[in-house]
Amino acid sequence: MLWVALQALPERASAELVDGCTALGWWALQFTPKVARVGDVLLLELSASERLWGGRSALLRHIYAADKPVTGVRCARGSTSLIALAQLQLLESEVLSGRTQRRVAPDDLPLATLAAARPHLATLERIGCTCWGQLRALPRGGVVRRFDADLLDALDRAYGQAPDSYPWLMLPEQFDATLELGAQVEAAPALLFGARRLFNQLQLWLQARHAGVLALLLGWTMDERRDTVSQGELLLRTAEPSADMAHLQRLLAEQLARITLPAPVLYLRLRSLETEKLRGETGSLLPQEQVDGDSLLQMQERLCARLGNAQVLQAQECTEHRPERMQLWHKLAQGTRQGKLARSDQSVLYPSWLLDKPLRLVVRDQCPHYPGPLTLLAGPQRLETAWWDGADCALRDYFLARSEQFGLLWIYRERLSAERAGAESDSSWYLHGLFA
Amino acid sequence: MTSILRSASLPELGAAVWRATELGAAGTSTLATGHVVLDAELPGAGWPVGAISEILQKSGEHNEWRLLVPALRRAGIGSVVLVGAPHVPFVPALSAQGLDARRLLWVTTATPAECLWAAEQALRCAGVTAVLLWLAQARAEQLRRLQMAAQVHSKLLFLLRPVQAQGESSPAALRLLAANQTGSDALLLHIIKRRGPPLEQSLILPARPARLAALLAQAGTVWQGVENALGRIASAA
Repeated sequence: MLWVALQALPERASAELVDGCTALGWWALQFTPKVARVGDVLLLELSASERLWGGRSALLRHIYAADKPVTGVRCARGSTSLIALAQLQLLESEVLSGRTQRRVAPDDLPLATLAAARPHLATLERIGCTCWGQLRALPRGGVVRRFDADLLDALDRAYGQAPDSYPWLMLPEQFDATLELGAQVEAAPALLFGARRLFNQLQLWLQARHAGVLALLLGWTMDERRDTVSQGELLLRTAEPSADMAHLQRLLAEQLARITLPAPVLYLRLRSLETEKLRGETGSLLPQEQVDGDSLLQMQERLCARLGNAQVLQAQECTEHRPERMQLWHKLAQGTRQGKLARSDQSVLYPSWLLDKPLRLVVRDQCPHYPGPLTLLAGPQRLETAWWDGADCALRDYFLARSEQFGLLWIYRERLSAERAGAESDSSWYLHGLFA
Repeated sequence: MTSILRSASLPELGAAVWRATELGAAGTSTLATGHVVLDAELPGAGWPVGAISEILQKSGEHNEWRLLVPALRRAGIGSVVLVGAPHVPFVPALSAQGLDARRLLWVTTATPAECLWAAEQALRCAGVTAVLLWLAQARAEQLRRLQMAAQVHSKLLFLLRPVQAQGESSPAALRLLAANQTGSDALLLHIIKRRGPPLEQSLILPARPARLAALLAQAGTVWQGVENALGRIASAA
């Protein structure tokens, strides 16, 4: 058996993270599924993963030397969990006393390092028992009667004669972390600073799960002494699973800039609502293929966050005869997948700008003016469709016209249906597109 | 000192000397415009990549698509971002001319500050090939900022501005004045600024898709035929 005990230094554990010890545990789960948390110490049982990591020494080198989420971690090892724990405590006392000792054999470990012996430490010392080996040499029946069964049990586990079992640490299905802010925060954008620690913790959780986040909920609890609402929350969504904390924080900053807080905030809480497995990316070794800058989706989300969803549009072609419905400019992530459109070869004769609303032209001497008289070049292209739509019925003759001032235009004359023709005698002309 | 200068005569220095009468080197990479007449007059024979190309037009006149689509359809596969477009881009016509509709991203912002911000964000994005920005008013320092963003990320940036901006200073590497030729459908281009000598005469580009051009030519002859016939009838009467 191979056990490793890890302990994060308390002063460094929570500088960047919400809970350094848990984060270290999530990180350690990549080496073995058997990670247990005892107080502020993490215990790793590694014998099953030795072969995967290329032998015991390679595995230990990985764990000791790798970048950990928390800096300044003490590591110790032993053949049982209690030996590893005892070695870790020795290491701690060495640091305190400033002396360095050689590795101690289990029999020579001081009894103070065994948690179960600590209540009886004074008695044991008086009978001349100071290390594990001396305690083990005492008759078992007498030890049980004089002290308690727990001590013997712990000693058996420490020497590997009884099974070692712990409640193993599991990676939670959902991320949920709460942070108490150091000071009351009055302005919403300033929450970003506190949220940074939550995001660091989230990043570790996402890394351990190999996932990207699709929806996040940032909640905050406000000072209840003010006579206002005490809770607030903000939903963050991304179009594709993202593990890029810089991008998420930029989105959050855009959203927070629009919020005014009714009362000072005391607590922050970050929860993950939806996550998805992250697809790996195929990188390129060639330097010229590595383009800098963020991805298209990130840019679009940033634009949406500041300008609003309705301002960033993508095009979709539709099968329709009415020009105004041949295309659909829709918001992001709303488009439906479509097959290849049967495009008519007429399309090349269409104008490149379409007017949002057709502009009614002035007619003098039966000739449309915009603002001067227009010369009709080609046409008519007759459109007769949507009679089933009632008022939207399109009965139009399209012409290509040239204006001396504005170049080539796309205009149409509305043909009136029989009953409406009686009411209005004059035919009306509209400008619908510009050949830019 | 003087002898050294005299000994190295100008022709020996070769490419290191740029004469004011020649076109300058582009300095950055370029993308062919798709118009042969225009390519011949531009430094590097194309639109500068990583610099502003400014196109000035009279208000109400629009010639941007026929000038730009031939280059845009060959410029990579990234998005073409439209910021502050004056009308609705008509996708069937653009895709018929070879510009894939899925590449278009239309940002419909109202205020100039938002336009500038959106354009800058688009320039910083790896998935964007070109940005078309319609700007009515802009200060020189705002344009310089855009120029820097385009330069750092090597993007095509076309700035479409009203003709009134002609007198203002601009950091653009290339400034063009586009107009319709009166009486015909050709595009009249006047190069206001380029890295090279000023160009006196204007360039005339037909710049229409072949079928549209054929239709227009046909319409011209038909109308002439009709007018001739009317004239003959009138003279006979």
